[in-house]
Amino acid sequence: MSAAQIRFATLWRREVNRFMKIKKQTIGAPLLETFLYISVFGAALGSRIDKLHGIDYVVFVIPGLIMMAFATNSFSNNSSSILQQKFQGAIQDQLSSPASPAELLLAFSLGGFMRGLIVAVLTFLVSVVLVGLPVDHVLVLIPSLFLVGFFFSQLGVLIGVRAEQFDDVAFAQTFVLTPLIFLGGVFYSAALLPQPYETLTHFNPIYYMINLVRYGFVGFTEVSIGLSLLALTAATAALFLVNLRLFSRGYRLRA
Amino acid sequence: MKALDIQQLEKRYPNGVEALRGVSVEIAEGEFFGLLGPNGAGKSTLIHCTTGLAQPTGGSIEIFGSDAIDHYADARQAVGLAPQEPNIDWFLTVAETLDYHAGYFGMPRKERRRRTAELLETFSLTEKRDERTRTLSGGMKRRLILARAMMHRPRLLILDEPTAGVDVELRLELWHYVQKINQEGTTILLTTHYLEEAEQLCDRIAFIAEGQIVAEGTSEDLAARFDVANLEDAYLALVGRKELSRSHIELAPGVEA
Repeated sequence: MSAAQIRFATLWRREVNRFMKIKKQTIGAPLLETFLYISVFGAALGSRIDKLHGIDYVVFVIPGLIMMAFATNSFSNNSSSILQQKFQGAIQDQLSSPASPAELLLAFSLGGFMRGLIVAVLTFLVSVVLVGLPVDHVLVLIPSLFLVGFFFSQLGVLIGVRAEQFDDVAFAQTFVLTPLIFLGGVFYSAALLPQPYETLTHFNPIYYMINLVRYGFVGFTEVSIGLSLLALTAATAALFLVNLRLFSRGYRLRA
Repeated sequence: MKALDIQQLEKRYPNGVEALRGVSVEIAEGEFFGLLGPNGAGKSTLIHCTTGLAQPTGGSIEIFGSDAIDHYADARQAVGLAPQEPNIDWFLTVAETLDYHAGYFGMPRKERRRRTAELLETFSLTEKRDERTRTLSGGMKRRLILARAMMHRPRLLILDEPTAGVDVELRLELWHYVQKINQEGTTILLTTHYLEEAEQLCDRIAFIAEGQIVAEGTSEDLAARFDVANLEDAYLALVGRKELSRSHIELAPGVEA
């Protein structure tokens, strides 16, 4: 391995090691939360709802829950890891190393991505066993999940870098991210909503992400897959470039 | 060769504070250099600019001939920093702290293991190797950040008030260690508030005040420059507190000097 490869692998390993050391909180709790949603909305409520667009309600809901788990874990890992290290000053050890802004940004991003991926994959495996969750369009599912994870990793980095106190991270997660995810159609089909809520849902970017992932699993979508993939790719790339600019300038990282 | 070559360094913070106003310092390879000044004089800002933790607003920094501001990879590879405040990751163990640091500097795994064991032994941390860093005492944390700074074998070691708040035993241990590695060729930049420390360890000393280097030389040069007997009096002259000089302390009747 070259010195640059060792450096990047170490930066990434540190991020993964951090969440694995507190895996009850970082892996166990999100898994439990997801299965509580499946129990309440799938098993309890689902037994009364029958089918949505010809799909069992519990099967209809699970793709959105997997996407939600991937998104929230990627986001919260990166935002809290960066803010915590800024608080402790420990981030100075990485910042004073020869690592480039791109290496630092990618390593932080991949830490959250890995945590989101682990929770999403575990949820998927259990869903396959419990309710026989299908995978209809794997070639749409894999890039969609990859982009969702990377987008929210970037968003977590952005919030973590900007944040000056833990309240800033909590605000973004509780008052912005969670409402957007819940109102993006995880638990329902937007087509069933009365106006103006159906139209408003189309302005929520999470709606398109949920549809992409749902299409990948069960083959049902309310939006254009090609257009959604394109828009998500563009949004992820734009966010990455914004973060790269912040890391290069040392915004709220270097004095 | 110059280990550190700082020319006309300026740092103005976004709030308008001018922390450095055209600082120029040159440190030769193998030198033990002290930087003294009152709180807020610009010592830590100068160190932060040198190590990439702050971005200068003007001037240049070269470390062993490599630019330390824009194309910094080679320059940073050559520097080890033991900061004033222990900035250790609470999630890591003592050994992980050292291992990760060396990894950030591209050191292969086998070498990291060997070096970690060596420095844990040197700094009497071997028994603590698997403990989380947050459980360490203040003195142990200080040892750890010094060991961390040395992990990648830097050619220039920057010690920002390394003995602040440590007990006598650790202070002397540290003095012996840094003198040893200086004799082996490591260049050292030391900031300290302990004048006897600077006097004992440093080949040359610079006084910094209000973001400017106001005097530079050996402790004898500085005493001569301020027309006083020793480094401590030179420092008191610098900060405008000559009346605190020990030579002014009147002994009580019957007490021998």
